[in-house]
Amino acid sequence: MKAPLLEARDLRVVRSGDAGPLKVLDGASLTLERGEVVDISGPSGSGKTTFVRALALMLPDVAGELFLEGRPAAEVGARVWRSRVALLPQKPVIFPGTVRENLLVPWRLKVRHDTTPPGEDELRAKLDSFGLDDVALDRDAAKLSVGQAARVAMARIGLTRPDVLLLDEPDASLDESAAAMVASLTVRFAETGAVVRVRHHRPDGVATRRERLVAGRLHGVGDSD
Amino acid sequence: MTETAGVVAITLPQLLLAAGFMVFVGVISLRLALGLERDLAIATVRTYVQLFILGLVLRWVFGIDSPWLVLGLLLLMVGAAAQTIVKRAPDAPKGLFGSSFVSMALTGFIVTFAVTGLVVQVDPWYRAQYVIPIAGMVLGNSMTGIALALERTFADLDAREGELLALVALGATPWEAAGPSVRTALRAALIPTINSMAAAGIVFIPGMMTGQILAGADPLAAAGYQIVVMLMVAAATALGSVLAVMLTYHKRFSADGVFIEKGLREDAR
Repeated sequence: MKAPLLEARDLRVVRSGDAGPLKVLDGASLTLERGEVVDISGPSGSGKTTFVRALALMLPDVAGELFLEGRPAAEVGARVWRSRVALLPQKPVIFPGTVRENLLVPWRLKVRHDTTPPGEDELRAKLDSFGLDDVALDRDAAKLSVGQAARVAMARIGLTRPDVLLLDEPDASLDESAAAMVASLTVRFAETGAVVRVRHHRPDGVATRRERLVAGRLHGVGDSD
Repeated sequence: MTETAGVVAITLPQLLLAAGFMVFVGVISLRLALGLERDLAIATVRTYVQLFILGLVLRWVFGIDSPWLVLGLLLLMVGAAAQTIVKRAPDAPKGLFGSSFVSMALTGFIVTFAVTGLVVQVDPWYRAQYVIPIAGMVLGNSMTGIALALERTFADLDAREGELLALVALGATPWEAAGPSVRTALRAALIPTINSMAAAGIVFIPGMMTGQILAGADPLAAAGYQIVVMLMVAAATALGSVLAVMLTYHKRFSADGVFIEKGLREDAR
């Protein structure tokens, strides 16, 4: 049997809370196949961000096992793992420089030294697909609006062609039409990869599966919206 | 006033006269309600006590002139400096003392003995009269630079928390993520040294040269000493800061390269 694209087994995270140790994740498990878009909801403070950060190997002190196409995380290596299981943090990050420079940040990193950075046409097309037709590549990225910045950050991570996209509240700083555009791009991404979204808005018809994080574990909500 | 070999010795009446000025400053502080009288008094007393003790210790050390005593004293100075650095960088991760000590000791010893051995050509090499004061200048100055560099590095990393999260998520190594902060911090640490080199002799007469001139030395000879010491101090500050930052920045990252932001620290203040 073919191994799933991403598998998280029994993740556990303990943090020191105001009233002693707090089990933020207490045996959270998830199996993810290509083509899936999984939405994770849950009360605030239930550990949704902690969970997606753990999936991206972006948290110290996580107990449990993670596999990418059957290979354990330690074997894949943290940096290669992160380049394939890409986390988009909730707060969009824009680096000093132009929009072009922002989109090319991933290729300044050693982990992608043997890959070719996207050309001018690809950058332009990517921005257009996010509805940023009016944003020039030479624009000082500091002058983008919050909604534009969020989409540039998404475009940047999309250009790296990860296998799994982890989106922490992708709609948080988007208006309705931008959110709809991002939703349809999410569907298109899932044709070849898989997506996990932290979301507590009402269902937008994109998720193929919905999970709820309660008491440190995931509970299936239904097979689709 | 007594004069021996061109040196005007300071005697008790002069020391008291100096204290008299501090009393005057104290009165002003009282009248203007600056609230500094206590601090002024303590600082004045400390100046007297500490410098006299230093004089006595140095006289004793110079008298014995043993290499072990000199090396022991240097280690003590490095330890005190490392302790000061730890105190000045409260936001830095644990384990700073060790790396500060190593950076200070390595650059301090190399630079000090380069000056005394190769430039001044002290004989024997451990001659306390030369080694201790030069080490004091080298360590004192590089301590300030190292403390500034470390404090800035960790403050800037915390300020760039969101950026670091995004960079590591894109596959950055700790160095790729922390690099901009390290560069900012090192620049900040080295600018005062560069500025003081640029202003030396125009805006002020550097301390050591002043001392030598007051002690009756030929101004040109004093200038030569000062040039050597200034360049060496600048080198020690630069090397010490780079070493200290390189040895410590990664302490803010987990073993697999995740930046440990404030929210994840057990000891977060």
